[in-house]
Amino acid sequence: MNEAIIVDNLKKTYSNGVEAVKGISFSVHYGEIFGFLGPNGAGKSTTIKTVIGLLKPTSGKIILDGYDVQKEPYKARLSKGYASQETAVDDRLTAYENVYLQGKFFHMKEEDIKKNAEELLKMFNLWERRNDLVETFSGGMMKRLDIAAALIHRPRILFLDEPTLGLDIQTRAAIWEYIRKFKENGMTIFLTTHYLEEADALCDRVAIIDQGKIMALDKPGVLKSEIGGDLITLTFSENTNGDIKDFLEAVKEKEGVKSVSEMKNGIYSIVVEKNGDKMIPELFALASKFNVGISSVRLKRPTLDDVYMKYTGRTIREAESSRDENAKNRLITRRMKR
Amino acid sequence: MKELIIDSYYVAWRELKKYFRQKTRMMVTVIQPFLWLALMGNAMSGLTNNPMAAQFLGTGNYLTFMTPGIILMTVMFTSIFSGTTVVWDRRFGYLDKLLAAPIKRGAIPFGKMFAAAVQGLFQAVVIIIVALLFGVRFQSGFLGILMILLIAGLLSFILAGFSLALSVKIKTIETLMSLINLFMMPLMFASNALFPLKVMPKWLQVIAKINPITYAIMPMRDLTVKGWAYNIWIYLLVILVIDAVVMLWTNTVFKNATAE
Repeated sequence: MNEAIIVDNLKKTYSNGVEAVKGISFSVHYGEIFGFLGPNGAGKSTTIKTVIGLLKPTSGKIILDGYDVQKEPYKARLSKGYASQETAVDDRLTAYENVYLQGKFFHMKEEDIKKNAEELLKMFNLWERRNDLVETFSGGMMKRLDIAAALIHRPRILFLDEPTLGLDIQTRAAIWEYIRKFKENGMTIFLTTHYLEEADALCDRVAIIDQGKIMALDKPGVLKSEIGGDLITLTFSENTNGDIKDFLEAVKEKEGVKSVSEMKNGIYSIVVEKNGDKMIPELFALASKFNVGISSVRLKRPTLDDVYMKYTGRTIREAESSRDENAKNRLITRRMKR
Repeated sequence: MKELIIDSYYVAWRELKKYFRQKTRMMVTVIQPFLWLALMGNAMSGLTNNPMAAQFLGTGNYLTFMTPGIILMTVMFTSIFSGTTVVWDRRFGYLDKLLAAPIKRGAIPFGKMFAAAVQGLFQAVVIIIVALLFGVRFQSGFLGILMILLIAGLLSFILAGFSLALSVKIKTIETLMSLINLFMMPLMFASNALFPLKVMPKWLQVIAKINPITYAIMPMRDLTVKGWAYNIWIYLLVILVIDAVVMLWTNTVFKNATAE
């Protein structure tokens, strides 16, 4: 048993006919951070909710920590912690009460709850505010509390649905730090995100999910290297004396350069296999040899956005805007049904 | 079984912690019975000057007739809205947390039903104290008052369970409220909570006789006005049966509940 989660050909169709997940298979190793990356409405939350047993799958099999989620739902629930997208803390209870209650729901002993709650609330910088009602907390504090509550019973597998949605940069960085720390302690973490930086910075492996299907699954580095190398864009000074054409020809001849092309309005792009940063000084040396003036230069490393673009044909932001509309429509039809 | 009770306890603990923190709500709880008994009782007291009416009511004091009705109404209105807590929990994601936790699913409704019963009984105790201050005497004595509270608690369980079972499939508070109102008004008026059965038209009497509210109010009123009557135990049995059915129903509904 070295897989924390095994999902086999999972399909989920909602009662209103929306096919949220269209047959996905993947497995998560013990001790890794596994990420689901995709825009809103791609099926991330549906997958997470099905894996932890909140939704019944239409078809497919899910093994969580060695237990079949459909056959042994109770045992499967014991080994996991879950912090939902909605930040489900009760704002009319105190921070401590929220964590305490969660411990009680996991049938922990009083003294264990006390010990773990103190450790977690201190770690998440909430200990001083433990007896304050949660309604006085900021969004970031609530999120931290929610994660702390999910950790009270020291789960082997932690599920985080959009853990940094709508948080400011500092809070996000802090939460990333915590997540890395959990991993060091041997916890398995399954998270969903639609922030590319987050998947890139945190995850050992990333699955790119779009319209209910996994489009690609690998280490972020491998996914990015599939895109090709670094991209250098150049513009030339207007009153340059030398011959730009000759210069570009020479660049093309250089070792490691994959292609040279004009994009638009005099912006040229050069794709190099790797180490674009080392290529730049060489380009300048060449430019002075050809007496060509370079007015600006930019180096772009491939991001997961480019990966996303490759597999789905859109950037994640484009997908978001059309998805928002869909989600809204879906919500309206769902409400009308009730 | 032990786990079910412990889990229910902590679900109830959460509801009650929040309930007793709401100062305004607590104050209303205390003020309301004063208003009811003082205003309604005074306005209607002329009724009992008529010997015919006094005979129908079974007592010369309208307040005595009213008190069990007020206890019943207060308990009803407190417990029937229990389902709104589920709709709220769903809205901000807490229901998912409860469903994902390794608690017995039945503990979610049972805990909330218990919390509703405690809230209702807290109000009932306030009403009884106020009624005693207004000169109402319970014919069955102190044990009778305990029996009235027991019946009120059992009724609270039924109504809270009914509302909770509905709430599982309902996404908005407004929908739940309108559904509850649909049931509440007929339940109230087609029972002998406000008027004695004898003065009702025949068709209404038939409805009142199959209404569970009637089975709660009859023994409560008898205990107040007449004292211990032999048929109190029959009513109690009917209520217990309805309780068992409602508990089975909510348990099934929550067992099959998903986040969808």
